[in-house]
Amino acid sequence: MAAPLELYCWKGDWGLPSVDTDCLTVLAYAKFAGAPLKVHKITNPWRSPTGSLPALKTSEEGSVSQPSKIIIHLRKQKYNADYDLSAKEGADTLAFISLLEEKLLPALIYTFWLDSKNYVDVTRRWHAENIPFPLNFYLPNRIHGQQLERLRLVRGDNGLEPGDDVEKELYRDAFECMSLLSQRLGSHKFFFGDSPSSLDAYVFGYLAPLAKAKLPNGKLQQHLNSLDNLRNFCTNILTLYFPSEGRDPPSQKTSSQPEGGDCDNEPNRRRNQVLSVLVALGAMLGYAILTGIVSIQRVQAQGALESSHRHQHQEEEEEEEE
Amino acid sequence: MSLAAEAFVSQIAAAEPWPENAALYQPLKDDQILLSDCASSLAVQTYLRMCRLPIRVSYRANAEYMSPSGKVPFIHVGNQVVSELGPIVQFTKAKGHSLSDGLDEVQRAEMKAYMELVNNMLLTAELYIQWCDENTVAEITRPRYSSPYSWPLNHILAYQKQWEVRRKMNAIGWAGKGLAQVYEDVSQCCQALSQRLGIQPYFFNKQPTELDALVFGHLFTILTTQLTNNELSEKIKNYGNLLSFCRRIEQSFFEEHDGDSGTGSSSRFSKSPSLI
Repeated sequence: MAAPLELYCWKGDWGLPSVDTDCLTVLAYAKFAGAPLKVHKITNPWRSPTGSLPALKTSEEGSVSQPSKIIIHLRKQKYNADYDLSAKEGADTLAFISLLEEKLLPALIYTFWLDSKNYVDVTRRWHAENIPFPLNFYLPNRIHGQQLERLRLVRGDNGLEPGDDVEKELYRDAFECMSLLSQRLGSHKFFFGDSPSSLDAYVFGYLAPLAKAKLPNGKLQQHLNSLDNLRNFCTNILTLYFPSEGRDPPSQKTSSQPEGGDCDNEPNRRRNQVLSVLVALGAMLGYAILTGIVSIQRVQAQGALESSHRHQHQEEEEEEEE
Repeated sequence: MSLAAEAFVSQIAAAEPWPENAALYQPLKDDQILLSDCASSLAVQTYLRMCRLPIRVSYRANAEYMSPSGKVPFIHVGNQVVSELGPIVQFTKAKGHSLSDGLDEVQRAEMKAYMELVNNMLLTAELYIQWCDENTVAEITRPRYSSPYSWPLNHILAYQKQWEVRRKMNAIGWAGKGLAQVYEDVSQCCQALSQRLGIQPYFFNKQPTELDALVFGHLFTILTTQLTNNELSEKIKNYGNLLSFCRRIEQSFFEEHDGDSGTGSSSRFSKSPSLI
């Protein structure tokens, strides 16, 4: 066995191993299949080998990014959580994953990225606090834009304002989807009997953020909470497969939210000031050089002697100009 | 349609019986309609036939722009207009016609899931092939899509549509897939459907449901449509039970009705060499 595979994913919070649905799916699948991964929990997607998260760095095929592809890759490495499934159960897996993507994902995007209260209070705040400077000014908006675009295109119409009609329509589909999942799960521990499979990983990935995030506008959450077996399903997987995450949050929560936020900001602010001054200076200098207010002359070697005092002269000029 | 209006509509819908002059609108059959629209339209027609609800098929070049959701097909029943299979199923249910009443909760969940599988994989693959594969776009999609319009509108509308579909593929992560990967996905989807169907006559044993209508609509259209190559239909032909499933539905819902259903379907179904 070569070096362990490396997985890059969003870091966790709210008592979850990661805050992102796709990352959670992959992490859960890896745990179910027993794949030994070296997990890098990062907050800067640009540091992942593919530029997006999650990403799996493999020795033979480069890096793969989509959860389905990562799972296929793990399966090829003999880490297969679906080994015991019958062909029909495999087909069901595929079908229910489609159901999640078509019905639940749009509502999740809406709840986390479009609902203005949730977005401002939770999603944007989390990303702004966790993504390193200076990307935290740029990336949250960019991700927001991408998610919006995705939702708009998936729904296939142009008007997409966070309004009552859109919300009700999306939530109606999502409620139905959750109820269907709950009926399918019944009183089982996992979707196909006693051991978890990839469908469990997907459902966990979609539902866990909803179950754990503290959203000010929690209509979807309320519906999930009313379905006992689904909620238990999520907490079960968390306690069984991610025991360390389950214990962390209470202590982390109290310390990091009220005070941690403030004292984290202080050193950053000083650094931000210095950096912004530097950037401004750089921009001014660049502008001066580009427009020809200040010019830099290359001096040939042969004219070095002669040029030494010219050079001095020039430097004086430069200072004057600036 | 707003939800209040929708609730209102379903209430009146329940009161009124199904009228004789109900009509289904779709793009021109011979030189305009595209694979994905044809499949969706056939699915709706099949569903209505399974419910034994009469429908007259109207071909309009601007069907896409007449539809309330911008998607074809749509049906015009009494004074209501409903588009796409999902809402149409809801609508007929409100009128008291339903195919899935006999299913238990788990089966209903599975039926919904498989319907999303078809939408998520087969429909997206059809869209991908017809708008993102350069050969197909140049030879089939663009000429057909723009056939009712004159220059320069034909180019503008086709590019606009292509641009829209490509952005959608980007957003759902299909843009990076090659054609081979898409065929692979179709094959995977067919395998799942085939496994689920097994040796039963319909997906949920004896009784046809909306899932059967949807699957039939897509598979039959793919099997009977001539594309630049026949790789897509070959993927389906690997699964014998899916083929006989298509044949069974064709026989029991289309051939016996041919007399009263007009010329539309009979001419289409007569040129289906792949099935016989």
